[in-house]
Amino acid sequence: MIKLENVTKRYVMGDNIVMALNGIDIHIDEGEFVAIVGPSGSGKSTLMNIIGCLDVVSGGYYELNQIPIQDYDKDELADIRNQQIGFVFQQFNLLNNFSALENVMMPMTYAKVNKKEREDRAHSLLRLVGLSDRTEHKPTELSGGQQQRVSIARALANNPAIILADEPTGALDSTTGIEVLNQLKKLNQDGKTVIIITHDPDVAQTTNRVITLKDGQVVSDERRQDYD
Amino acid sequence: MIKEYFAIAFRSVLAHKIRALLTTLGVIIGVASVILLMSLGNSAKEEAANQIRGIGSNLIFVNITDRQGNLPNDWLDNIQDAALIKDYSQLISSSAVYVVEGQDVNVSISGVNDKYASINSLDMSLGRFLSEYDLQYDTPVVVVGSKIPSLLFPNQEIIGNTMIIKGMPFTVVGVAEERGTNFSGDNDMMVYIPIRYAARMSGFSSINKTFYIEANSEDNVDFTLNRVLTYLESIMPSTSSYRAFSQTQILGVLDTLMSLLTTLLSGIASISLIVGGIGIMNIMLVTVRERTKEIGIRKALGARQSQILAQFLIEAIIITTLGGGLGLFVSYLGTLLITFITDFNVILGLDAVILSLVFSLTIGVIFGIYPAYTASKLEPVEALRFE
Repeated sequence: MIKLENVTKRYVMGDNIVMALNGIDIHIDEGEFVAIVGPSGSGKSTLMNIIGCLDVVSGGYYELNQIPIQDYDKDELADIRNQQIGFVFQQFNLLNNFSALENVMMPMTYAKVNKKEREDRAHSLLRLVGLSDRTEHKPTELSGGQQQRVSIARALANNPAIILADEPTGALDSTTGIEVLNQLKKLNQDGKTVIIITHDPDVAQTTNRVITLKDGQVVSDERRQDYD
Repeated sequence: MIKEYFAIAFRSVLAHKIRALLTTLGVIIGVASVILLMSLGNSAKEEAANQIRGIGSNLIFVNITDRQGNLPNDWLDNIQDAALIKDYSQLISSSAVYVVEGQDVNVSISGVNDKYASINSLDMSLGRFLSEYDLQYDTPVVVVGSKIPSLLFPNQEIIGNTMIIKGMPFTVVGVAEERGTNFSGDNDMMVYIPIRYAARMSGFSSINKTFYIEANSEDNVDFTLNRVLTYLESIMPSTSSYRAFSQTQILGVLDTLMSLLTTLLSGIASISLIVGGIGIMNIMLVTVRERTKEIGIRKALGARQSQILAQFLIEAIIITTLGGGLGLFVSYLGTLLITFITDFNVILGLDAVILSLVFSLTIGVIFGIYPAYTASKLEPVEALRFE
């Protein structure tokens, strides 16, 4: 499903060239629950941007669902993000002027889903994350945990195969964090490929595969056998 | 999809009401001044044209400005049939000053023939106009303009009263209806006496003679004018001693002149529209910068460049169209105000309404496209990082 081969990412900063990713080889199969961990500066955010098609590789090869991503232009990448990837961000990244329902509907708008179906799906997704009584609330009227659940519902809007979560618990207290992780775990059990980017080992332990990055390279890739 | 863009754009505009209003102010002023000046120009043109049409119909004006020996007094009778002339009237003029309660009052005195009223569309409110008989027998009668009775004969019966003109007594036989002021002066301060009588009085220029010729149909005006010109050419010593032109020619010249003036004024006013547009661009650039994060989120979730472009372009268009609408409203109030304080009737035409919408829409597109383009080109990764 996700195939990264010898992927590099270079940034030019003044006279210096920074290798944010330096020869990454990762294969992730459909239905996996993966954590990508590493200290800050290890390149995990860059990796997430590349997996999420928000950024393109400088070298190497990236294939998502048999699609060779580097051959695609910006608008095609936008369509791939829209259809195949659900993003969950650390700071939720909800639009504050819009209600929970409208936030969940937004990716469907870009997918040109008709209004009736958008509303129906947004309602059922908010029900799924336990917020059916908060549909008309603005993000500022919701708690952090609730906001993150709205963003999970939004990530599921176009029924993508992959959920990409960047520090999903980073802005939450531990109890709410666990709730959100359980939600992601449940999505994985329902068949989604879930990838969590985190610096928190406890969060990583909830997954069944932990890929550790350091200085832009994979230093370990462990599968947990005891994962249920 | 377009519907959603409008919904989103409306939401953002409403989120910053004061800012939106201040931003549109430039467009409001621009649109209002363009439309107001255009309406004013058009109304002035219409007003002037109406004044000229009000003089009569199918008219040709002939002005003799040189003493000449050869032009017979009855020259128009001689060519009347050949030149397809229906009727004509003649005018010579002078003026007199009357003192009313210590104030000087200027009265124009016109020596005219009996056809003058019908050809020059002069209607009577009291009594009658000069008759053929008056002309033939030189009866000392006078028809006065509508302001004369209350000025010179307050609280007196006017018909049958005697008016002294240049030392001679005249019997008032009629009062003309109110005509207002046009290029020949205040018509309501005019009195009309038989022309032959006037010609014998002092103070009337015997050099300047004006003839009003009515062609027998609208189609024959040019023909009649040509015939008159040909005749005058054959008999007058030089072409500088007479002038002849038709009502249509005056209207044409007037139309060209007023249109030019209107265009010029509107052109100057449209500069403010451009300034307003720059204001829109400025605020849209600020908006795009402020909402970099939002753009990043939208892009991350699958918005294409064209969709972001459309969103911000529509927002700019909404702001300017709002300004256009408000500008239209302001100019409407302006026309009401002008009509109220002057007696000049200014009408806001449908063309002005359409023009204002087209104007503001165009301004929105022209000045919204760059900020929207900037927004659409933002890199999602960098935009998401923006706080």
